[in-house]
Amino acid sequence: MCFFDEPTTADSPKARVEGIAKVTGKGKYAAEYDVAGVVHGVLVGSTVAAGTIIKMHTEEAKAIPGVIDILSHLNRPEVPGLSGDNKTKFGLPIFYTDKIFFSGQPIALVVAETLEDAFYAASLVYADYTAEDFNTDFNKNKIDLKADGKERGSFAAWQNAAIQLESEYTIQNEMHSPMEMHATIAEWTAGDKLNLYDKNQGVNGVQRFVGGVFGIPPENIHVSSEFVGGAFGSGLRVWPHTLAAAMAAKQLNKPVKVVLTRPQMFVMVGYRPQSWQHVKIGADKNGNVLGIHHQAKNTTSLYENFKDNITGITRKIYKVENLKTESAIVPLNMSTPIYMRGPGDCTGAFGIESAMDELSYKLNMDPKELRLKNTSVINDPDSGMPWSTNFLNECITQGAEKIGWENRNPVPGKKIEGDWQIGYGMALGFWNSGRQRTSTAIQLEKTGKLTVQCAITDIGTGTGTGMRNIAAKNTGIASEKIKIELGDSDLPKAPSEGGSTGLASVGGAVVAACEALKIKLATYAANQNANYKTIKPENITLENNGIGIKNDSTAFISFDELWTKNNLDTVKVEATSGPGDERKNFAFCSVIAHYCIVQVHSKTGKIKMQRMVSVADGGTIVNEKAAANQVIGANIGGIGMALMEEQLADNNFGRLVANDFAGYHFATNADAPMIEVSFIGKADPNISAVGSKGLGEVGLIGCAAAITNAIYNATGKRMRDLPVTPDKVIMS
Amino acid sequence: MKPFQYIKATDTATALFSAKKQKSHYVAGGTNQVDLMKDNINYPDTLIDITTAISKDITATDKGIIIGAMVRNSTIANDKTVKDNYPLLAKAILAGATPQIRNMASTGGNLLQRTRCPYFFDTALPCNKRKPGSGCSAIKGDNRMAAIIGTSAECIAVHPSDMCIALAALDATVQVTTKDGSKQSILFKDFHRLPGTTPNLDNNLPENALITGIKIPVNNFYKNFSYLKLRDRDSYAFALISVAAALDMNDETIKDARLASGGVAHKPWRWYEAEAFLKGKKATQANFAQAASIATKGTKGFEHNAFKIPMLKAAIEVALTNCITV
Repeated sequence: MCFFDEPTTADSPKARVEGIAKVTGKGKYAAEYDVAGVVHGVLVGSTVAAGTIIKMHTEEAKAIPGVIDILSHLNRPEVPGLSGDNKTKFGLPIFYTDKIFFSGQPIALVVAETLEDAFYAASLVYADYTAEDFNTDFNKNKIDLKADGKERGSFAAWQNAAIQLESEYTIQNEMHSPMEMHATIAEWTAGDKLNLYDKNQGVNGVQRFVGGVFGIPPENIHVSSEFVGGAFGSGLRVWPHTLAAAMAAKQLNKPVKVVLTRPQMFVMVGYRPQSWQHVKIGADKNGNVLGIHHQAKNTTSLYENFKDNITGITRKIYKVENLKTESAIVPLNMSTPIYMRGPGDCTGAFGIESAMDELSYKLNMDPKELRLKNTSVINDPDSGMPWSTNFLNECITQGAEKIGWENRNPVPGKKIEGDWQIGYGMALGFWNSGRQRTSTAIQLEKTGKLTVQCAITDIGTGTGTGMRNIAAKNTGIASEKIKIELGDSDLPKAPSEGGSTGLASVGGAVVAACEALKIKLATYAANQNANYKTIKPENITLENNGIGIKNDSTAFISFDELWTKNNLDTVKVEATSGPGDERKNFAFCSVIAHYCIVQVHSKTGKIKMQRMVSVADGGTIVNEKAAANQVIGANIGGIGMALMEEQLADNNFGRLVANDFAGYHFATNADAPMIEVSFIGKADPNISAVGSKGLGEVGLIGCAAAITNAIYNATGKRMRDLPVTPDKVIMS
Repeated sequence: MKPFQYIKATDTATALFSAKKQKSHYVAGGTNQVDLMKDNINYPDTLIDITTAISKDITATDKGIIIGAMVRNSTIANDKTVKDNYPLLAKAILAGATPQIRNMASTGGNLLQRTRCPYFFDTALPCNKRKPGSGCSAIKGDNRMAAIIGTSAECIAVHPSDMCIALAALDATVQVTTKDGSKQSILFKDFHRLPGTTPNLDNNLPENALITGIKIPVNNFYKNFSYLKLRDRDSYAFALISVAAALDMNDETIKDARLASGGVAHKPWRWYEAEAFLKGKKATQANFAQAASIATKGTKGFEHNAFKIPMLKAAIEVALTNCITV
């Protein structure tokens, strides 16, 4: 909790509060903390996708000098949460089963004095297994679909619609691939007290989960996650390696560090599951959508059910009276998937926004106009509640102007520059804007130095910076005097940073804490000036060096005086805020319109992004630089999703192939064009005192469809299977 | 990684003296060797650091250029003589890997890169190249990146280098010092091997011998050349198909042509028949298309890489066109 106090740079207050610490390496990721006497654990993965372990071969590894112990299902410590009937309540029951559910499943943890010893010894551990059938082929077995949400209207109402469209869309597995490897350092400081340095998206969630597994109160566990090098959803649950580190630390009575390797990151911390979608739309000749049938399937593991909410976006974005959504999960010999940036909606948007584009060509109608005709911007069609704010139509219109949509040729394949075909595409994104109960503490010193504290993690999104911006605005104290402390379970409680709820949640709490601070200071100030006795918080003004009353220049009292007269040390307040009755009256959403221009080489199939424009409604923009950074990053993620990201399994062996960064491609700078991001910037008056709606997820949602829609406009080739690598262009 | 003894050799003789059959490996830039050791594919008892044992010099003469085996890839790509007289080489190097890797990788090591076939890297699965006789997982597995020419029933892996495609096109020679100290020159076209029944052998470098340099003869291919690399992303990805093309033009007539490809075979592949066709022809689209057809006629795809054949044909046409237009 000491790294967020660096001096701010010239472009403060926009600058990242943790920026200098990050780029100088002073900021520490979970694995980088120095813990005296720490020993190193390396996990060994199964080499088969199914079976039962008959024998563990650990003799050779144990003989390596420096090896301390090798944990497996044969010798793990007693852990109440993984024993008996609870087995998969906490996910993969690591070291509590001899069954293999997927290839790469951790079967042993080699603990050694040095990382090098542990790695070498781990390479010598292997097991004998019984042979069992496995399946990693998503398309092999027929799976029945079930209703997913309430049906609206009926099929009969639109079976004779003038224009009908029916298409299937598929996406391969995608990997979160954060820069920082998942890692845990675990140390039992007393019999039932555990200290964890851990990469995750929510320290309080880790306390509850690990407490549940080990049967100890959550408050006995201290979790520190001050810097998180990206996560994209992979840090939203506790994974087996964290439990393995804590088990080994308990068994050996030593602090144990476990850092995943990059290939292990592909099988041990989730992924966006492979998916299939079927979309049927009926419309009248004027482009009024009459009915939609959206079906979806996604991969899950054999030991847990994970459903991505793929059809959710279709239920919310368009005003369609007849709607049926269905889904199913496909159990495979794979590890369990997890939410990945824009979960569900990102996949669903590829389906519905591709289908809407296809429909626009059938109608011979501008796809932008088709969207404007059908968006549901007044009410949430699913709940019937009014949107608190929804500026999607403004996003559509502004985006079209910025990209120069009028230069699009409505006839595919007609805009040609040499060997390159040029195409314009657009698509929409939608995300339910959430907010969760969060606490924040503020400490003020006589010098005017303000410290804002919250357990929330900042996974690279700029949460800490936003907290400072909000505190500065609500106290009047300059940014450079504000210190942020976060990512530690000793601080006031916060939800996990996920689902784009971070800023809405912590922002509301920071505002509440600022109010509490003003009121507390006013009670001291009342000892000097009676006008403070009946003052309302909104009339209290704070400055760098003192407190005052609005429109009353005589009321100013310096902090020096206030502190001396009242014999104060540090003034501390804590406040909690969360969603309330507004959720009974309004629905909340963040929305975006994506536009892009692509060029496709007519001979080689090479696709090059030429330009991307995104206009988003995220309510109040607290920090435009950080907000634009979120959406630019999401767009680059969208390029990856559309054009290159895929993790395949070899179905002969039931094992991932090429699961490293040589094999799994995400977009690099060289793949990204100029990306222009702008915001509607109107406050949502109901979501929280700050008025901000989350932007992390929505930036990616719809992006891939905008790109494939542009490929169609360029070439006349409709790409319904992601990613669109050049071979698919050539062969279609 | 298995523990090993580390020796830093200060000259070629010491390096060769230290080398013991099967048990020792050389390391230069380390960009491939260290990966292979981390993945337990290479596990030498002794690692001989040759960074100060072999030449770091680029020497130009009126007959050609000699690039010391320890010259870093980025040094070649930025060398003025190379850029002026052998620009195809610079272009190919810059299409490969990342700036960080090119700053480390050596010339000799570039020739000795192992394949990036995913099955070669996964020690849990069969691979004839890594473990002779264990089988080829790629033939019936994920073979999207695999070869389309010169394959065998035992291996369909491709050679990964970009630099080597240019060296093949430019008729380079590999200078070698063998264990007993004698010097050899190996024609580039004979340096790398096809898999046949011994896919574990990538090349014909004698055991424990050292590559000391690469020689490229003077040529007229510095005006009309191109290196086209098609890949899944624009940086840090291996080629789906790459084409090194160079034309020696006399007005509109092609006096001589060079055409080589990566991503197609177990070795850098020269399209000799297509080159012969182009000699004496006009530089027209029709002739380029014909050359591309000739090149692709002996190719054969597998389940996931059949696209490489039309992609190769297109890439050859575009690369030849780029020789005279870009």
